[in-house]
Amino acid sequence: MPQRSFHASRPFLLLGLILAGWLLVPTLVKRILSISFFELQAPVSVTASHVRDLQDFWSLRTRTRHDLIAAGRDLARLNASYEVTLQQTETLRSEVARLEALLRIPTLPGYRSEPARIARRDFNAWWQRLTIRKGRNYGITVGSPVIFSGGVVGKVAEVHAYTAVVDLISSPTLRIAATLEGDSRPLSFQGGNNPAFGPARGIVDYVPTDASASAVSPRRIVTSGLGGVFPAGLFVGEIIRLETSTDGLFKTGEVRLDSRLSELTEVTVLVPERAD
Amino acid sequence: MPTSSTDRSGSLVETHHGYNPRLLVFHGLLALACLAVAAGLAYQQLIKTNVYHDLERVQNQRRVLTPGPRGNIYDRDGRLLVGNRPRFSVTLNLDELRGEFRTEFLKIRRAYRESDDRNLPSSAELEQIARFTVVQRYLDEVNRRLGRTETLDGQALTRHFRRQLLLPYILVDDLHPDEYARLLEQLPVASALQVYTTTARHYPFNSAAAHTLGFVGLASLEDSPTVSLPGDELKTFAMKGSVGRDGLELYFDEILQGETGGTIYRVDPAGYRVNPPLVRRLPVQGRDLVTSLDIDLQLAAEAALAKLELPAAAVMLAVDSGEVLALATKPDFDLNATSPRIAAETYQQIDAAGGWYNRSVKGIYPPGSAFKILTAIAGLRAGTLDPEATVNCEGVYRVGRRLFPCHDGHAHGPIRLAQAIEVSCNVYFYEQGLRLGAERIAEEARRFGFDRPTGIELPFETKGMLVPDAAWKKRFIAQRKLPADQQAIEERWYDGDTANFSIGQGYLLVTPLQMASFAASVARGETRTQPSLIHDPTRRLSPSDPIGLNPVARAMLLRGMEDCVISPHGTARILNSPALKIPDLRIAGKTGTAQVATPAGTRNLAWFICFAPVDRPEVALAVMVEGDTPGEEFAGGRYAGPIARDVLKAWWDKRRSTAAQALHSSAAASTARAAQEPDPTRSDTTP
Repeated sequence: MPQRSFHASRPFLLLGLILAGWLLVPTLVKRILSISFFELQAPVSVTASHVRDLQDFWSLRTRTRHDLIAAGRDLARLNASYEVTLQQTETLRSEVARLEALLRIPTLPGYRSEPARIARRDFNAWWQRLTIRKGRNYGITVGSPVIFSGGVVGKVAEVHAYTAVVDLISSPTLRIAATLEGDSRPLSFQGGNNPAFGPARGIVDYVPTDASASAVSPRRIVTSGLGGVFPAGLFVGEIIRLETSTDGLFKTGEVRLDSRLSELTEVTVLVPERAD
Repeated sequence: MPTSSTDRSGSLVETHHGYNPRLLVFHGLLALACLAVAAGLAYQQLIKTNVYHDLERVQNQRRVLTPGPRGNIYDRDGRLLVGNRPRFSVTLNLDELRGEFRTEFLKIRRAYRESDDRNLPSSAELEQIARFTVVQRYLDEVNRRLGRTETLDGQALTRHFRRQLLLPYILVDDLHPDEYARLLEQLPVASALQVYTTTARHYPFNSAAAHTLGFVGLASLEDSPTVSLPGDELKTFAMKGSVGRDGLELYFDEILQGETGGTIYRVDPAGYRVNPPLVRRLPVQGRDLVTSLDIDLQLAAEAALAKLELPAAAVMLAVDSGEVLALATKPDFDLNATSPRIAAETYQQIDAAGGWYNRSVKGIYPPGSAFKILTAIAGLRAGTLDPEATVNCEGVYRVGRRLFPCHDGHAHGPIRLAQAIEVSCNVYFYEQGLRLGAERIAEEARRFGFDRPTGIELPFETKGMLVPDAAWKKRFIAQRKLPADQQAIEERWYDGDTANFSIGQGYLLVTPLQMASFAASVARGETRTQPSLIHDPTRRLSPSDPIGLNPVARAMLLRGMEDCVISPHGTARILNSPALKIPDLRIAGKTGTAQVATPAGTRNLAWFICFAPVDRPEVALAVMVEGDTPGEEFAGGRYAGPIARDVLKAWWDKRRSTAAQALHSSAAASTARAAQEPDPTRSDTTP
């Protein structure tokens, strides 16, 4: 009878021993194991991402020739407009360089653009984090700003050998020093508590009291460049509600983020050149 | 073979032999003891539950009070005179660092032990070192991000830890917007380091109306009446709030004071916070105040006063409402230097320059010849003064054995009321004063309220104003406890006293604000003007006693006052010079020059009171300049007159510009209406 009860409790004993053993393992070892686990998991995510890309490729192959010609034509037009914008940007850059030389202002450190595909985005943290398919192998550093064609995506939070984790702009853990477009006074933007699959919202604070915005006439906010992380002028979102704070000093409000943030497939990491 | 239990085990086996009466006592005692315990428990649990609940609350809960921002102060046109500016600081929530403090403590202790140091600090000292080290680490982080070199005050940290653990500890105060933006973006959201915002008073016009607006000082919120958060009995941590210390900030403190908010937290036995808060109430901004001041006129008055670089005051009132349009005093101080707190050195500098003293409402001075208007009104009402009758001015006037000179020492010859006002003839008013008697002059002065504070909405308005008479002099001399024979001589009211009194000299003391109220009352033909610093567009003064002059007498009085400005012999003729004349504005004024004896010698005072326009008065003004150049002619017309002129000019220009704008708007509206109306000359061809 005692022999039988010992057998019955053996799994629990084993589990207890494992847990006790894990508790005794040094923190450094645990950390290494954790990183190793993530790094080992990374190829799976990357492979899955490649498979999705392949799937997209084959789904595009099913399009008719007519569709592809039309898409090619649209792209050609878009490229032409970008060419013009690029030329204007080049002119402005050279003007800025001339003025900097004239006024003897040190040139601000620039950024290197690093396009990256999205490798993974968990449903339970849809508006908080995503994983991109580039990491230390492309010189990406923690804290680098991440953008897409619609403005700010977020900030690199973790960098691994072949992947990096990005804190999204819609996450409450991300805060940006922004400004109203056309204004120079800094305000604070912070991601909201957004449920997965719902529209993404953010919160603004320290908005000057003379500013006004509503859902009908929203105000665009852009990065201020004062925070030292994001370059100035990147689109953050639109303020759709503002109300005066109880202390009467500022206004606080709600920000509507770009809806395309929910369907990102590719982003660009701005790697600070100084960090290279 | 045993047959019963006794047989088997002998007497060792416990058996019941029925009820044992000896045990009854113990049962009873036991029952009583149980009852006592149960009763005690019931008493503690049921009856005293509230007491213990309160004790538990007091022990386990802490209250943190946050001040509500003060209300704003505006001028009559809605321009901000006093507001709040944000003050950004980077703070450290010490109660979130308990783990770090403990780790650091162990690390430091281990280091001491490993080094075999015999001077191992005590546990309390080690805790302090650990706290300092951790906080310094955070400060280094902030310094690195901001490029600053701030240092940590160990004593302040210890004090904060002991007394205000639940309040954020300010590491760096008064951040520039660029700096706070940098920290916002670079500090993790969940860090113990946070950017914290408080408010400080902000004065967009710096020193303008400094004495009137007043300033605030830091004060503990614990005794604030605006705390609406429950838990008075709890240990309270209060952030510093602000209370009015002077001026409108003090007088209307209850209105301007914001509603204090706060939070009640549960804390663990070590005093560290356990989130989330049990009660949270947001602070609410105080109510706004719209003053009667017109900042344009205030600035004009201050600029005019500043030209002389002498102590001076100027008060401008709206005649119809008594609203104060400008209340200026020099020297003054920059209000922004008082916010959020004034440095001791700055305080001393302002004090040494006499900048704290609000001469308009606290300064008491003899009004000099500006008082002759009151003497004239008293004489006209009493019938002792005939405006058409002449008095011969020979340059001096004999009263008893003493010769009283006319104001400029020249003989004016036969002179009537209007001319006497115009040239400010002392002899004329000595004569009229003596005919009238000091009692009647004093009575008239009391009728105009010269014997009491005006009641303006400012703290510390002086009560030292004085309308002297024989009874007062007797009391005053009696207080000096002189020898009996000397007292008998000095306590008498002499004709010389009356002569001095009739020209606004001697014992008479008034404030510049009282003189402005007097000028407004004369302009309106009444006896009282209640000055007010609160703007109310619908305000009309409650009528006071009429001045009591017949139209002819009043016309003569006004003519004398207008001639004072426009006549070539008028004492304020400087205002009619091409450089200073205000086109199309008729001014009725009266100059005054008085002397006061001070420990440093005789001090001259220059006065000018006036109202304008003469035919339909809208504003009244009093200007007083304290001179420091004895021997020099310090006439009111020469020194105080141009200041009044500058303020009147600013008012007149603004009034005309506002009228022109209104006309333009009205014309534009008429044109727009006309354009919308159908043209009757055009036939409507619409089918």
